[in-house]
Amino acid sequence: MADILDVAIVGGGPAGQAAALHLAGRGLDIAVIDEQPRPGGQILRQPPASFTVPGWLAGRGYARLKHQLARFEALDDIRWLGGCSVLDLAPTMDGLSLLAATPGGISRIRARHVLVATGCQDLAVPLPGWTLPGVMSAGGIQAFVKSQRFIPGERILLAGTHPLQLIVAEQVVRAGGEVAAILFAQPRAGMIATAMRHPLIALRRAPDLAAAASAMATLRRAGVPVRFGAPLHAISGMDRVTGAVTGMGEIACDTVGLCYGFVPQSALPRMAGARMHKAGPAGGWACAHDHWLRSSVVGLSVAGEALGVAGAAAAAAGGAIAGIGIARDLGLFAPEQAERMARPHRHAFDTHRAFAAMLDSIADPTGHLPRPDAETLLCRCEDVSFETICGAIEQGGSANAIKLATRCGMGACQGRNCEPALLRLLGDVGRGDDPGFTARFPARPVAIGDLAESG
Amino acid sequence: MKRVDVAIVGGGLVGCATAWRLSTAGASVELIEAADINAGASGQNAGSLHFQIERRFLENGDALAEQASSIVALSRIAVEDWRGLETALNADLHVSMAGGLMVAETADHVALLERKATREQREGLKVRTIDGDAARAIAPYLSASVLAANHSADEGHADPRTVTPALAAAARAAGATIRTHSAVHAIGRRAGGGFTIAGNGFSLHADQVLIAAGAWTAALCTLANLHMPLYPVALLMNATERTAPMVPHLVQHVGRRLSLKQTHAGNLLIGGGWPSRLAQLPGGGFDLSRRATMIPDSLSGNLRAAIDVVPAISRLNLIRSWTGVTAISADQLPIVGQVPRMPGLWIAAGGSAFTLGPTFARLVASAMAGGPSEALDIVSPARFEHLNGFMG
Ligand SMILES: Cc1cc2nc3c(=O)[nH]c(=O)nc-3n(C[C@H](O)[C@H](O)[C@H](O)COP(=O)(O)OP(=O)(O)OC[C@H]3O[C@@H](n4cnc5c(N)ncnc54)[C@H](O)[C@@H]3O)c2cc1C
Ligand SMILES: Cc1cc2nc3c(=O)[nH]c(=O)nc-3n(C[C@H](O)[C@H](O)[C@H](O)COP(=O)(O)OP(=O)(O)OC[C@H]3O[C@@H](n4cnc5c(N)ncnc54)[C@H](O)[C@@H]3O)c2cc1C
Repeated sequence: MADILDVAIVGGGPAGQAAALHLAGRGLDIAVIDEQPRPGGQILRQPPASFTVPGWLAGRGYARLKHQLARFEALDDIRWLGGCSVLDLAPTMDGLSLLAATPGGISRIRARHVLVATGCQDLAVPLPGWTLPGVMSAGGIQAFVKSQRFIPGERILLAGTHPLQLIVAEQVVRAGGEVAAILFAQPRAGMIATAMRHPLIALRRAPDLAAAASAMATLRRAGVPVRFGAPLHAISGMDRVTGAVTGMGEIACDTVGLCYGFVPQSALPRMAGARMHKAGPAGGWACAHDHWLRSSVVGLSVAGEALGVAGAAAAAAGGAIAGIGIARDLGLFAPEQAERMARPHRHAFDTHRAFAAMLDSIADPTGHLPRPDAETLLCRCEDVSFETICGAIEQGGSANAIKLATRCGMGACQGRNCEPALLRLLGDVGRGDDPGFTARFPARPVAIGDLAESG
Repeated sequence: MKRVDVAIVGGGLVGCATAWRLSTAGASVELIEAADINAGASGQNAGSLHFQIERRFLENGDALAEQASSIVALSRIAVEDWRGLETALNADLHVSMAGGLMVAETADHVALLERKATREQREGLKVRTIDGDAARAIAPYLSASVLAANHSADEGHADPRTVTPALAAAARAAGATIRTHSAVHAIGRRAGGGFTIAGNGFSLHADQVLIAAGAWTAALCTLANLHMPLYPVALLMNATERTAPMVPHLVQHVGRRLSLKQTHAGNLLIGGGWPSRLAQLPGGGFDLSRRATMIPDSLSGNLRAAIDVVPAISRLNLIRSWTGVTAISADQLPIVGQVPRMPGLWIAAGGSAFTLGPTFARLVASAMAGGPSEALDIVSPARFEHLNGFMG
């Protein structure tokens, strides 16, 4: 590998691929790094090459993304570093430095430009019973179904506020699984009213709405109840899930998928010291950026869900803008030329983000999240209960002080799961301006023996 | 305007412990902290209770080592302070004093250990030198590369997360006022004695002032028009995932930077003074308001030292590394006591003030009330009076 790459792209999802496609073929040294072995990202999570899945993601909505993925995989001047987790990102004198855990050990990668396109993750939602085996994120269920055609339960209940649970349920049903019910905590009238407030946006994104409608139809045919104004209160079971206590009464199930929205994967830009701001209503942090999607850290751009959750199409459009912007900064395009090339992508980016904003307000979990009880663990890495955290909040400290006092956020996930819940609680008592946890190395746990050999 | 006997600047271990001691003795105290209690070095450190002479005193030749060995007198007092702290505060601070081993891996290191033990014995500290096998008999987790060790039966560790908050709670219970999220911006001398302390939205009169602001102490001293040769240093700490009990002792290295222990929760904490990079101000100078960044070679060097001494660490996962900022003085010894040219102004900063902080606090509180202060003579700011010949 070159001593210093021209561009390192972290994330091989729609955003990373789109950027790579605009940077390839110009004599640059480029690597795309992803902790998954194969490119695709969340939405096109690919089955392992060694086993094929019949009719893998046959739906229409995926055609464009699959086409982009095929073009990306055909590139021959980009290094694909699959199975490599980026642990650290830090600015240096001449660019940025990454530390990655690769199948062959720890390796330091230096690059003049870095694009962070690391996507998002499901919002973790603490409620009574959420640590029982059988409770998953809806996205987690989808990942099983997509990449292995494995249905992680006999009878799955989906609950939350995000319409994605309709798509997940449809995928489960099509794969032959049983869905007990889909519960939306918010009333249907409110969702429709929100959509009606933005008729043009909704119209422009008719295919997505059609996908949701077709999912509804499939579910109806399969006899799966879809309920609105039906909050989930608690999950019951002794050593695994046996049911759920909901606004519709007790529902028997062995698996619960929670779907209250998504938060950006923000660890790397935060570690690099980039300026961040609050992401959508589900919480989390999004990277502040200029109109080439450059962050406040020189050489660091961000695209895709890491900018704020807006769906695969916006991710691809943003990836293209960021890729063109980097090529421009490397002197490959004149400013006017870059502007011209970016124009259609900017248009798509804006349209999709407007839709995403509408989706955000439809799916807004504020006021619809289940209530933890005193013993509910907010931080499951370090076993810190809701009660303990409420006690610490009363002492008046910042999120960092509460982390220090209670260990909440000190575990293996680095606070990715508990931080949104903690910040929400701080917001409830008028401390919504808290800057959150200080981001710490490493972004993923890593064996000490491997790290010791990295110097 | 509000008037107190003592104003304390800084809500770390030293400030909170002194507030507790003073208010217990009946003084009126106001402690002012810029951020949260325990937000500085006191909440970021390794939690080692190390009473043996530290490696950093040994690596710069015999003359400095000799001078530094005077600190042992304070360490001996600190052993007793730590033994009584949980009872005195009626709090669980996870104090464990199961002994500490400072190991050597080469013949040179062994010689260093022996010279160090001689100094310590001369100062009355109970330390013995044992060979590698004897060390492994006490601590079977040690690697075969360990040739010898100094063993101190008193050493150990406590939980930095809980110690300072417990001290703050005790100070409050004894009547101290604790003001957080209030930075001190001005320290003025009053005609006729005493000081005015002010910040955003508050000001008060105090007969005496203690600056216990850790790495910020030099900056606060400038508010009183004084030089104080204390410099910020940023250090690296690492935590492994939790694991079954395996290391009951404090483990240090005489020739390499390493400190290692297992917390009550099961994580191994690995540190030992590996440098990090302080954030800088554009025109030069350090910016203590921003997080210090990790130096890659420090990380690998620290972890390698840990694995060489305790090989089982190799298979554990690292879950978190962090940087913390503390203060070091011009001669490496702490600076604790009254500033001779400014009666009523006290400093307590520098050195390993997790281990020594409770002792500094007790001695300063007693000296402020007019009690004896000889134990603090070796660390008195008087030794830097020459820097303040044109100040004050
Ligand atoms: C579980 C889940 C399911 C989803 N399902 C849908 C859906 O059905 N329809 C839809 O429209 N949207 C869905 N979304 C939203 C979806 O993420 C986006 O629409 C789209 O995939 C975003 O593209 P992206 O390029 O920003 O990120 P992603 O596609 O998420 O790609 C990011 C990539 O970065 C990699 N990565 C992250 N961190 C690191 C690191 N530290 N080191 C190395 N690699 C790293 C990841 O492995 C991943 O491959 C889902 C999101 C999630 C979390
Ligand atoms: C990584 C690391 C590991 C260490 N390991 C050990 C160890 O194992 N054993 C040991 O004995 N020692 C150790 N130390 C040293 C020890 O942590 C410190 O000596 C000790 O905590 C200092 O306590 P303090 O109260 O003086 O300072 P601090 O805890 O730093 O407190 C100073 C406080 O002053 C406040 N402040 C600053 N400016 C102002 C202002 N203008 N107004 C009001 N308040 C202000 C700050 O916010 C801060 O809270 C370590 C230090 C570090 C950084």
